Amino acid sequence: MTWWRRAFPLELAEEGHFSRREFARFLALVSAGFTTGIGFLWLRKAPLEGASDPEPGPVEHPVAVGMAADLKPGESRLFKFRDAHDACILLRTGKGELKAYRQICTHLGCAVRFKADRLECPCHLGFFETDRGFPVQGPPSRPLAAIALEERSDGSLWAVGELPKPTLEPPGQRAACPRDQAGQDPAEVKA
Amino acid sequence: MSASVRISPAALGVILVLLVIQLYLFETVLGAVLDGQRGVLPGAFGVSLALTGIALFLAFRSTVQHRRKD
Repeated sequence: MTWWRRAFPLELAEEGHFSRREFARFLALVSAGFTTGIGFLWLRKAPLEGASDPEPGPVEHPVAVGMAADLKPGESRLFKFRDAHDACILLRTGKGELKAYRQICTHLGCAVRFKADRLECPCHLGFFETDRGFPVQGPPSRPLAAIALEERSDGSLWAVGELPKPTLEPPGQRAACPRDQAGQDPAEVKA
Repeated sequence: MSASVRISPAALGVILVLLVIQLYLFETVLGAVLDGQRGVLPGAFGVSLALTGIALFLAFRSTVQHRRKD
């Protein structure tokens, strides 16, 4: 009898019912569960993020998001895209470019906001650059879902579909991700 | 004298290490899939299957004999 059993003489009726062998089998079955999970991910064809992040491509019904000239550099505007719950943000960067992103942080789904030429998630202080939506600081590791915009001849602006995720683009274009350029000279990154 | 068949502590330790590797592998694969890199899935599934095979073999087959007095 071990010293601690003598020191703490508790007698449990079931104490001997879970053997080392049973514990090992339980661990092995948990291991099999992980394998099943990876197999499920392999066989699953739909995107993992579900309906909130649909496949890239045009939508049947483009959404008008106002006049392009109304938005000054540094300003943003919220709009709904696919349905009443699909919050998106339209912004004009400091360089004058119009960009639109789904307003859902890729970390834990908080609403991002446009501040100081970056998209900021206030929940955990994650930041995204506005050029392609890549995360540049904080917990998020995936880029924001981008919305395709179309400016029509009358100056109106329309959200017309989903843009493909930047990570799916050819490797030559991925160098634009600020995290890929972390080891380079900061002056080169700005250029 | 009789003999009881038990799993050895070493085998149990190996199973625990395999489970930690599985956990890390699964977390890594999940992150890769969320990043759109589905190409890692076949290889990861093969590795995970091999680890599970080893764990199951150890859990069900590994033995060490202890002699004890009746």
